[in-house]
Amino acid sequence: MSERDQKTLRVLDTGLRAAAENMAFNRALLECHQEGVSPHTLRFLQFEPCALVGFHQNVDQEINTEYCKEHGIAIQRRITGGGAIYFDSTQLGWELYLDKRFLGTADMGQIAARICNAAAAGIRTLGVDAQFRPRNDIEVEGRKISGTGGAFDGDSIMYQGTLLIEFDVEDMLRILRIPAEKLSNKAIESARDRVVNLATLLGERPDLDHVKDAIAKAFAEEFAVELAPSDLLPEEQESFEQALAEIDTEEWVYQRNRPATDAPMFESIFKSDGGLMRVGVALDPERKRLKQLWLTGDIFVKPARTIADLEAALRDTPQAEMEERVRAFFAERDVEMLQLAVDDFIAAIQSALAMAETEEPAG
Amino acid sequence: MGAVRGCDIPEDLMYNVENNVWVRKESDGTATVGLTSYACSLAGTIVSFTPKKVGKTVKKDKSCTTVESGKWVGPAKTPVTGEVTETNDKVAANPGLINEDPYGEGWLIKLKPEDWDGEVGDLKTGSDALAAFEAKMEADGFGGC
Repeated sequence: MSERDQKTLRVLDTGLRAAAENMAFNRALLECHQEGVSPHTLRFLQFEPCALVGFHQNVDQEINTEYCKEHGIAIQRRITGGGAIYFDSTQLGWELYLDKRFLGTADMGQIAARICNAAAAGIRTLGVDAQFRPRNDIEVEGRKISGTGGAFDGDSIMYQGTLLIEFDVEDMLRILRIPAEKLSNKAIESARDRVVNLATLLGERPDLDHVKDAIAKAFAEEFAVELAPSDLLPEEQESFEQALAEIDTEEWVYQRNRPATDAPMFESIFKSDGGLMRVGVALDPERKRLKQLWLTGDIFVKPARTIADLEAALRDTPQAEMEERVRAFFAERDVEMLQLAVDDFIAAIQSALAMAETEEPAG
Repeated sequence: MGAVRGCDIPEDLMYNVENNVWVRKESDGTATVGLTSYACSLAGTIVSFTPKKVGKTVKKDKSCTTVESGKWVGPAKTPVTGEVTETNDKVAANPGLINEDPYGEGWLIKLKPEDWDGEVGDLKTGSDALAAFEAKMEADGFGGC
């Protein structure tokens, strides 16, 4: 393996691509980097409309596959972790291929933080107050504008993120397997409160090249490297074609697929002095985990994002730890509630969990 | 038990230090593979675990299991070639067990080694392993477990 240039960051722009092609680039470039063939690289990418599950997720449990089929939305599996996302041409993808020596640490948390902080600094130069929010998000005043994740192989790492340019969160909600009430106007509005895009913040759609430039410069500054735009190497092209042949297949996308019925959903309505709460839970019965929780209802909670934060905090929680986590969640926040107590949330969630013992799944 | 910078490194196991994995020959002829406490410390809490299927042959230094922590995904590479005979159901149900007990209940897979004697020559054990991990931690800029 020849010594890699530690002072140069290649900038690769693969343009608008099908999901399978972008995933194949991920695998091919990480492999080629690990083999010492690829230079340290920053890639920009865009997607034709697609739903992407995290590496360890099951398509049928996460995605509304019928909706995707009806609307010509491709379904693919990332090589990185995390949850299902919707990607289309209103988002810009960025990703880095580096190694631990270049980064000066092997601590995965530190690597993610450093890269996210640099990306946030780049976004700030566009005129918005972007900040890294541990562990994996970049947000502007509490609203998410970029989600990130990584993969590693040996000493090489690939770390990628999205940047929402004109994105609308409703498109995202529709591809996910979630209860219908999460698609009510009110629920969509509440989801919109949690996510923001550059066009909204700036009052106009920013020039894409300008955005790429800002991000590239921020990484160059953080890592003290020169930027060098260039194309794929022949070895990378070959590796890409091999990877595509494996990834653009049902076998890859639906691997270790378990039917939606293995992650049953239950819904319960709970009445308290503070109002009516409707609770939906998706469970992993084998691991006794609450995979996901949805809370809606006629309740007053301020700030409004509290409910969405609670849903996020309880993702993939062992059922035995649910109560403890709900209490910890409210203990560290200043939340105003009308006639509603923390115990009501716990009882409401318990009522949905209890349905799992006695009822048929809700859908 | 041996330790390097606060990370347990049992001296009776054999390690591929570069890949941060251990292997132990069992009395029934199979070999057990797992991640080191150092690997666990770098990764953080592991939330998903996908081993290669029983019956599949995995090659030395190739992935035998994929793990996910935070939002990082990566392979655990087997130190020896062999056919997978068992994967850890307890870890499948609770991947955090890998962090809690990496050398015990948190093992990843068992395999039937193809060429144990031929392949373990470059693995490290005992005080050699401790020294190699110290060097790796130094190169990785690692503070301690």
